[in-house]
Order: sequence, then C-alpha cells, then structure tokens
Amino acid sequence: MDIDKNRCVGCGNCHAICTMEAISLDLDGKSVVNQDECVECSTCHRVLRDEGYAPALVGSIRSILSAFSLQFMAEVDVCPTNALVPPELEYPRSLRAEFSDPTVVHAGTGVGGRGTEEIKTNEVTGRLRTGEAGIVIELGRPGIGAHFRDVEKVATSLIHLDPHFEANNPVTQLMENPRTGKMKEEVLGEKVLSAIIEIKTTLDKIPDYLSTLESVQAEIDTVFAVGVGSKCNPDSSVPHQKWVEDAGYTLTPNGKTNLGLGRPLFQEKGQ
Amino acid sequence: MTNTLHRKGSVEELKGDYVIFTSIAKDYKPGSAPKIHEFLRICNKYGPVNIGSSKLGSVLQDDVDFNDLVIKLKDGSTSAAVFTDVDTLQKVVSDLVEADLGISINISGLLEGAHECCGKSGIQRHSLEQSLGFWGAKDRLPEREVIEITTLCGHGMVSFNLIRKMMEYVRMRRLTPKKAATIMGKCCECAVFNTDRAERILEKVLEQGEG
Repeated sequence: MDIDKNRCVGCGNCHAICTMEAISLDLDGKSVVNQDECVECSTCHRVLRDEGYAPALVGSIRSILSAFSLQFMAEVDVCPTNALVPPELEYPRSLRAEFSDPTVVHAGTGVGGRGTEEIKTNEVTGRLRTGEAGIVIELGRPGIGAHFRDVEKVATSLIHLDPHFEANNPVTQLMENPRTGKMKEEVLGEKVLSAIIEIKTTLDKIPDYLSTLESVQAEIDTVFAVGVGSKCNPDSSVPHQKWVEDAGYTLTPNGKTNLGLGRPLFQEKGQ
Repeated sequence: MTNTLHRKGSVEELKGDYVIFTSIAKDYKPGSAPKIHEFLRICNKYGPVNIGSSKLGSVLQDDVDFNDLVIKLKDGSTSAAVFTDVDTLQKVVSDLVEADLGISINISGLLEGAHECCGKSGIQRHSLEQSLGFWGAKDRLPEREVIEITTLCGHGMVSFNLIRKMMEYVRMRRLTPKKAATIMGKCCECAVFNTDRAERILEKVLEQGEG
C-alpha cells in the first residue's frame, strides 16, 4: 500500500487497522508505510471509508482547533482525504496480495482466500480418501505474518516423511521442487499474512508429522496453526481423532464439517 | 476459508458461533451462481448475524446490500452466513438438504452441533477437519480476548491493534460494544465474523473495566 502524502492529514486511523502494524506517523506528521512489513492485504483501503474532504480543509480545521487546545476525533473507520493508494504490484511482490488479500484469487488454484480446498469439497474431489489424512500448516496465523523462508523451513523439515504436498495448493506451486520442499529463491523474502502448507498422507503417519512439527517450531520466528482432516467412516466416526489423541495431542472441539451435499459424488474404487 | 477452523473460545462460547458456507470445487464452478444464490436466500431467511460472499463483502460493510450482493454473485463465489445457535442452524441445514443444491456446504463450529444438525436432517457428515491450535513463537501472540476476536475472521483482517483500540473505546464509552463489533466485522471480507460473539467479549471487557 502507498500513502499519498499530499492528501494524508496524519489522522492515524490506518495505523490501528493495519494487520501488520506497518503504518506509522512519519517525521512530517503524515502516515508512512513500512514496505518490508506491508503484506498488501488492502484492509486499510477497503475498510476505511473515503470521506472525500480536501486535505487543506481538514488541515485548516485542525490548526484552528489546535489553537484552542481542542482536538477533532474523527470516526475510526474513515480515511478523511482518500490518501491510501493501492499500488500496481509486480511479481514476486504480487504474491503478498495473493496470500493476504482474500478478494484476490490465486492464479494457480483458481481459489480465493488462502487458495486451498482441503476437505471443503472432498465429497466431489476425493482429495482425501479412506485411510488418508490431510494436514494443514498455516504459517503466520494468527496475525503475525510469515516470510516464505519460514514456510521453507517447515516444509523441508518434513521431507524425511516423504510428504505428498498437495499440487492444487498455492504454496506447493511456489516450490522449486516439491520433493525437497525448497521454495523458489525469489520468493523467500516475501512476507504474507499467512500461507498454508497442505499435505496428504496416511492416517498412521499423523504422529510422525506432529512430532516433527513440534521439533521445528522452535526454529520458526512466527506462529503457525495446525489442522488435521479426514473422510468420515461409514458410521460417521472420525478416523484421524484416534491417531492424533493416541499420539498425545489435543484436538479442538470445533472444526469444519463437510456435509457431503456436493455433486457428483466422488466414488472410491471398491465402494 | 480454512480460516474458520481455528476460532478460539470455550465450548460454552462456541455454542453461539456457527458458520455455514459454500465451497465450489474448481472444476464445477461454471453454472454454480444460481445455487449459491439459493444458499444465501435460505440462510438469510433465518436471520444470520452476518452474511455475504468473499469477493463482494459482507452486509456489515457500508456499501453492501444483501439483494445487490446476491445479484452480483458469480459462479464459484464462496459465500457464508453466521448463526448464533444450533437450533436455527439445524433449520437452515434441513432447508438446504431439501433444496438439494448439489454444491459443497460446510459448517464450521462445534463438531457435536454440526453432527446433530446432520442427524436431524437425515444426512451423514462426509469429512471433517480439526485444529490442533497455535504452534511456534507463541510468545508473539496477544492476550486471550484479542485472539478470540481476531480468529473470528480467519484471514486475519481484524488487526490486534484495531481490537485493542475498540476495547479502549468501549471502556471510554466512546463506542457501544455493538458498534465496535460492527466496525471490526467490516474488516472481514468473507462474512464469517460473528458480531454477536465479539459484542459479548467486549461487554466482558467493559465489565472488567468497571470491576
């Protein structure tokens, strides 16, 4: 995001709304964006209503109020002078928007948000079948952000387990080689709000993945959220729960339930 | 919308927090818009606290009108609605089963609640995904109330600082918890932010301030 300094009046509303604390007040009293930290999520531009005031008018009113030791407190969800300017992004910086702005669709997967389908369409895609488990590792979440070098560190730590990185996942598509987990060199320094490593494996390997993630977490300078999914048994029981709990980990009581209403239904061989 | 997987709160709090959403498989997007319209129409009939679509925003946003949003929806749009009790959710699910839209629909919330809805609607849950919480540099995470609110928008559009600012404004009585919750909800583009839950959390913050 850019800020037009000729329009900004330094009200500070964009500072609080910034998801990465990347906007601050510059020495000239106008707001400035730390471009290294900005993840191009565009939340500031989308949410702060443009009041359309002339910067000179706002500046004059503020000066007058200030002379009487008064302060004008604007509403919190406005940019009074339309000073926020979304820039044209070129690759690899454009990845920041793809992974951070939910209105931007990932070119490689055709999916918005973080670009993954996971179990959400499993009844149609057959992505996870009987005996299989899906593991999702969302780096940077919640609210801290992640560089692709963090993503690479986690992905490469899992290689000894011979992971199947989901091909229809935007992180996999940025890997130089999914067999090594190495990311393309040019993306390593890019920061995003979050990015999801998505793996398909077998249920019995869940404990190995979780213990590896437990080991690597100390080497990562950000947080990550871990999720596990599977196709329910014919009696509605949930196969992954036993494997996770037997390995000594705790699952949350909430989660995502695919109701199985999509059509055509994917049919597994022999079923 | 993996986001909704990691909503935080006690079981009691989560009883008031259910998201129901569509997800259209990549190869089946063409022709799906009328089905998504119907999904939203059914959800809206039952008074969700939030409703919308990821590319068009939520009804909490100033420039979004529900009817306009439905008209503008395109094939494959991920759409969502938030409900605050399982009984209402169950009615929504029953209507959706009867409508037989043929699109993937998921519930994010307490698994027991979702399971109950499936049973009462005569369907069997197909697949399930659960969270194992947050790992890594957890010392960088904020206080519990901030996490509970920020995870209501899983794409992380509601910043820690905005939440703290809203808490402060509520304490100063510059904003009501309801108004503050709506302002935060505007940041969530996918319409999964539960304003009712956020309001409850802010009310607690206010009570603590008075205590």
